[in-house]
Amino acid sequence: MKPRGGYNVNLIGAPSLDVEKLAPPEMLCIPLHGRKLEFSELCVAEGDTVTPGQALATAPLSFSVPLVAPCGGTVSLSKLDGHIVMENLNCPAQPASDPETPAHVPYDSGKAAEKRRKLVDLGAWRYVSNARTQRVADPQGVPDAVIVSTVHLEPFVAHGGAICKNKVGELVRGLEHLQLLLEYQEIHLVLPDVENEFARQIQDRIRGHAWLKLSQVPLQMRYPFDNQTLLARHLGLFTEGDETVWFIPAAGIIAFDKALTYSRTCTTNIISLAGPMVEEPKHIEVQIGHPIDRILSGRLTRDEDIRVINGGILTGTHVTDTQTGIDAECSGLTVLETPVVREMFGWLRPGGDRRSFSKCFTSFFKGSFEENLSTSLRGEVRPCVVCGQCVSVCPAGIMPNAIHKYLYSDELEQAQRLRTDLCVECGLCSYVCPSKIDLYDELVRAKVQIAEELGEPDQPQESEEDQQVTEESNKEEQA
Amino acid sequence: MKFMANLLDKMRPAFEKGRFLGPMKPLFDAIDAFMFNPLSQAKLAPHARDPLDVKRYMSMVIIALLPATFASFYFFGWRMLPMIMVSYMAGGAVEVIFAVIRKEEINEGFLVTGLLFPLILPPGLPLWMVALGVVVGVLVGKEIFGGTGRNLFNPALVGRCFLLLSYGGEMGGAWIEPGGGFFGRLFQYETVAVDAVSQATPLYKAAADSTDLTPMTQLLFGNTLGCGGETSAIALIGGGVMLLMFGVASWRVVVSTIVAFGVMTVVLVDGDNVAEQIVFHYLAGGFLLGTFFMTTDPVSGPITSGGKFVYGALIGIATALIRLKTPLFEGMMFAILAGNMFAPIIDEVFIALHVRGLRNEK
Repeated sequence: MKPRGGYNVNLIGAPSLDVEKLAPPEMLCIPLHGRKLEFSELCVAEGDTVTPGQALATAPLSFSVPLVAPCGGTVSLSKLDGHIVMENLNCPAQPASDPETPAHVPYDSGKAAEKRRKLVDLGAWRYVSNARTQRVADPQGVPDAVIVSTVHLEPFVAHGGAICKNKVGELVRGLEHLQLLLEYQEIHLVLPDVENEFARQIQDRIRGHAWLKLSQVPLQMRYPFDNQTLLARHLGLFTEGDETVWFIPAAGIIAFDKALTYSRTCTTNIISLAGPMVEEPKHIEVQIGHPIDRILSGRLTRDEDIRVINGGILTGTHVTDTQTGIDAECSGLTVLETPVVREMFGWLRPGGDRRSFSKCFTSFFKGSFEENLSTSLRGEVRPCVVCGQCVSVCPAGIMPNAIHKYLYSDELEQAQRLRTDLCVECGLCSYVCPSKIDLYDELVRAKVQIAEELGEPDQPQESEEDQQVTEESNKEEQA
Repeated sequence: MKFMANLLDKMRPAFEKGRFLGPMKPLFDAIDAFMFNPLSQAKLAPHARDPLDVKRYMSMVIIALLPATFASFYFFGWRMLPMIMVSYMAGGAVEVIFAVIRKEEINEGFLVTGLLFPLILPPGLPLWMVALGVVVGVLVGKEIFGGTGRNLFNPALVGRCFLLLSYGGEMGGAWIEPGGGFFGRLFQYETVAVDAVSQATPLYKAAADSTDLTPMTQLLFGNTLGCGGETSAIALIGGGVMLLMFGVASWRVVVSTIVAFGVMTVVLVDGDNVAEQIVFHYLAGGFLLGTFFMTTDPVSGPITSGGKFVYGALIGIATALIRLKTPLFEGMMFAILAGNMFAPIIDEVFIALHVRGLRNEK
């Protein structure tokens, strides 16, 4: 598939690659409901004392992946709705890595099932997702291929460079562990540059120890080409429609090493703390459940008129209550300002200071530059004027404006026919829409609705339709 | 500036629901948002948005129309000004009434219609006719379909079509002799229509005798009889190129209209001055105005890229056919309206093809 669409939003406040390790707080607020993981089956009761590494809850819809206690302590379920609050913490000090750790993993393919169990129990499996559904992959499943990616392009989520910094050894061992779980399936390693120092180091170390396909796929560093579904399509891994492709980010591979080499729990995340409102944007390593307000205190340029986003500005979620903690899937906190000043005749200005996907501002002649974005809608909600911006930005090649039209008139079958299922949920259509229509939200909802109400489209019907199309197009040509 | 903001803030409560001026809230909101950027925020992801909004998008079309508007002032005097004002006021009134009744916001699409409409009328037309035309255009062409974004036809053309069919005599006899010299008619208020003998637009003359072609320099510059904004080819090409550069007009429609029209003209014209006739037909009448500003209206045209080519070709071919093979000597308006009519069905076909193109993606 040819790369198409995509657009880089160039926001100021990109995080530096420094990683600051935060000390464990006095209490943890661990969210039970994430974007993809719903830890709805509790394993602990009010007032229980847990030990580090114990399962607090499991996600029944995601192959019972557990939520692992990062520290020991007393559990409270009633303090914060939808959260497990842990107090009287007793966090084990992470030992410095063992100097006698072998550089490579001994070959013991017979224990693959045991290793998978270990990954699940120690909290490392949550990183492994099915590239088609973007949800947690089946720990017992057999993939057709695996994609390991170090590229994260959304502004701002944790940068691959920060996650892998000084961790070539861990990454290589993690890849070797991964390979021992598989049966010679291809592992595709996605790097921003296959010829840089980092890529060379990995190649040198891994040679002869693991089967790793380092093929060069020309891919621009444009958002959202780092998306797992798009990567699988770009690499040609989806051809039949029923392939299982695992996607593991670099953090997951490092977690594999931690779990399988050292048998340690994987309960910390390296997240980015960035955005225009952050004084010193950088990466931080935090325990899951670390309260967000503790992370942010003293690090923002101001405390009012801001919006804290869990994730990047395009697909992240609005953190309305900063008392909550970092969830297991969190990869970054982005802080934007909310608009307070009303600009006079803003729409009439030449617009050299505002970057746009369109060519309607003089900034078009300036090329790319970093700009300060607020949460302003920058316009008013209007009916679709069919400008086609969403179609040209869409990386999946679908027509959000046409789908919007059908969804507006409740024609779900038509939306399905227009391949709403191909949407990779990048959020760019909403970003560029001049009518400020929430296309992203509409498409995500429609995907769920189509899957629930309509199921798979009937194959024979489709072919009949195809025939019709050919006839129609023939007529059109004759006309 | 501060004063304006304060004034608007003071007035806002009077337009709240239940107050005396409550029903006029759409009008107040429109003026308020026109003056100052609203503070509304993105509620759902993405949390930041592109600066382009519909106001900006529509104002790009107005900017591109400015050269032609200026040319109309130069050639036909500042009578164009009351025409534009009447058009904005009468059409705006319809828009506001509908917004108030529907309790919706006032749409910016009207800003384009209100300016385009007087530019496609004979410059000597009585003002009440301008008002009537724009009211019918906005009402029938847009509002009864549900307003901006849902209209089937180009509202300005619906209004013009109505006037032409209802007041054909007046429409064909309200030409003004174009001004010349450094100031043209910039300081004149011309109401006197030219006498009946010289009442012949370039296309009318060419239809009667294919060798009687208006000189190309005159067509390029624009000092010929014709509708307010359609005579100056240079101004229209300049504006059209701007529109294409902004990415607001679709190049697909423009290119296919121009190519199809040229090919069809070659096929249909006879006489030994074929090349001259083709250039003449490109520059004369409403072809350029229609191609750059009417066919490219995204709402009344098709939404698929392939469909845009077919749509443009359809309009180009129809224009040439009407101009050269029917008693009507100008065909752009009917061709575009016909194109509008076919746009949904063209889309149907190309959406089906688009879906077929995606069948290998899993």
